[in-house]
Amino acid sequence: MPRTMRYIATNKNIKNAEPVTIDVETLGNNRYAVTMDDEKFELESLVLPTLPKGAVSLLINGHSHSMDIIQAEAGELIHVTINGLPIHVDVADERRMRLRSIAPEHSKEGKQTLCAPMPGKVVRLLAAIGEEVKEGQGVIVVEAMKMENELKSPKDGKLVEVYVQEGMAVEMNAKLLAVE
Amino acid sequence: MSRIKKVLVANRGEIAMRVMRTCRELGIATVAVYSEADRSALHVVRLANQAYCVGPAPSRESYLVQEKIIEAAKKSGADAIHPGYGFLSENPDFVRAVEKAGIVFIGPSAQAMDTMGNKTRARKHMVQAGVPVVPGSTEPFASFEEAKAYADKIGYPVMLKAAGGGGGKGMRKVEDAKDIQSAWTTAKNEAMGAFGNDAIYIEKFVEEPHHVEIQIFGDTHGNVIHLNERECSAQRRNQKVIEESPSPILNPELRAKMGEVAVKAAQSVNYVGAGTIEFLVDKYRNFYFLEMNTRLQVEHPVTELTTGIDLVNWQLRIAMGEKLPFVHPVSPRGHAIEARIYAENPDNNYMPSPGRITYMRVPGGHNVRNDTGVYAGYTVTNHYDPMVSKLSVWAPSRDEAIARLREALKEYVVKGITTNIPYLLNIIGHSEFQGGNYDTGFLLRNHEDLVTKKNPKDVRTALLAAAVYAHQKNEALAQKFVPPSKEKGFISAWRAYRGRRI
Repeated sequence: MPRTMRYIATNKNIKNAEPVTIDVETLGNNRYAVTMDDEKFELESLVLPTLPKGAVSLLINGHSHSMDIIQAEAGELIHVTINGLPIHVDVADERRMRLRSIAPEHSKEGKQTLCAPMPGKVVRLLAAIGEEVKEGQGVIVVEAMKMENELKSPKDGKLVEVYVQEGMAVEMNAKLLAVE
Repeated sequence: MSRIKKVLVANRGEIAMRVMRTCRELGIATVAVYSEADRSALHVVRLANQAYCVGPAPSRESYLVQEKIIEAAKKSGADAIHPGYGFLSENPDFVRAVEKAGIVFIGPSAQAMDTMGNKTRARKHMVQAGVPVVPGSTEPFASFEEAKAYADKIGYPVMLKAAGGGGGKGMRKVEDAKDIQSAWTTAKNEAMGAFGNDAIYIEKFVEEPHHVEIQIFGDTHGNVIHLNERECSAQRRNQKVIEESPSPILNPELRAKMGEVAVKAAQSVNYVGAGTIEFLVDKYRNFYFLEMNTRLQVEHPVTELTTGIDLVNWQLRIAMGEKLPFVHPVSPRGHAIEARIYAENPDNNYMPSPGRITYMRVPGGHNVRNDTGVYAGYTVTNHYDPMVSKLSVWAPSRDEAIARLREALKEYVVKGITTNIPYLLNIIGHSEFQGGNYDTGFLLRNHEDLVTKKNPKDVRTALLAAAVYAHQKNEALAQKFVPPSKEKGFISAWRAYRGRRI
């Protein structure tokens, strides 16, 4: 593998952030020469022996930064927490960029399933099967931690499936209903 | 009254920890109760001398079941019950049942609670005692139609409020006549779930109001004292987020006046123990009685930090029949701020974020206090309140206290669940908060600003860090797949595959 690789990093905290090109060259001993937007940095990255893993000490041109880095799986978002602020970064190398260019775009076509964003209890259904709903319209109320949360339809369309009943306890990511 | 030797704490989480700590300091034995979901909670495993299970996870089947709590108290030999806040803390029937069982209830009398705990009755009583109140109905409504007719009459915006309790549950602001039907249904459901009582009353909404509350204390010898105010205007859906003492909008004259009225209100019901009189202060600095909380408040640490008094210690001593140590008001010393850390995601409509805490690092340092009932490895369940901890700081001045809180929040790390820490940082960094004149609409009005992530410097650092992180992973992966023959000549297949999944 080449010692220098090119990465395209995008801040996902804000919509439509400009991707940034970052070249990383391995120097050995946890040191890297990095170029971002024509600016050169010398980095030293040390993974700290915390349990569980995730704490990283980064020296950027000698300036000390402490952070936590989590990535569930390769290719997914990298979550970097600095000063209590989680920043979600998408990082793609050139191989992954090529793969993405041929993969279909994520779309809202067809049936969209609404899943529970947290474990809780279904309090009320706000629409019935067959009913036309608008994107962003409240369709179901789920109670968690003593607060009622109104969940909204993912798209304009017809409510075609309801997988739950009022009063039912649901796990995180449980299917609630589908809109087509 | 005789000495209390053993206290059952009829609560969970940080407040159970808070109460048990002081009990232990005083040499009082502690008894915990817990639901099936709370067997591994900190108050059960660390601070309680005895612990009894009181039922399944839902609070309606455990922490809210009076008979089970009293049975646990009898079984354990506790001579007193501390109710904490929430749950049964403001239920006069519970007080009577506890006293009937020959156990001391650490709090006011059932009669005082009957009057003050029920908000509509409290309003009536306050009007008679000459305390100013906000215009509104004094009785819950029998039907939605009656409620709507009343709201139409006094004019919108109005507040729907649960007659049976506080804490923002069962409370809804209605801006317009067209929204009152859905707000009514939600408020009734929440009130039923939280307090087992769905009675709702209506109040006129005061524009640009500040929520300022006075801590009061009464003893069994007829003395009542106030311990200054707490500013609680940083709230969202009537759930407090940040509290401070002293209030930046009070001067010594207004403090003295409000304190005097609060003491008068407490005296009118022969109040005993810790209590709080909540006021709305409008932009002309008129103040109106809002309600009385007949219990210890969540935000009591800011009072403790600015007066030096341990409020739980006073509660216990007063329950044992002692006199208040002093009866003259004290001036607040320095400044204290408390921030509530919630398991929720302000970025996603404040969606609750229960789950397992995988890592937790709590800030320390001079005059930094953290009250919590959770720990790394603990699972925050969806059955109870989303508050995981309270971070409080003290400093000589307000500006210094804000700086101290800012640094402490930056040091705070909770992994595995989403918390509102970035949101709290944005609040205390906001110019309106720093200016000190923020009303109860502050958080809602600035929602976009407060949930937006800023600090471009940190974003650049994060991009660099993420790229290097991805690069390190790539290199580790590449190393794994280097054919052994290219590395060091011939290596046996067994060695080549060592430590690798086949």
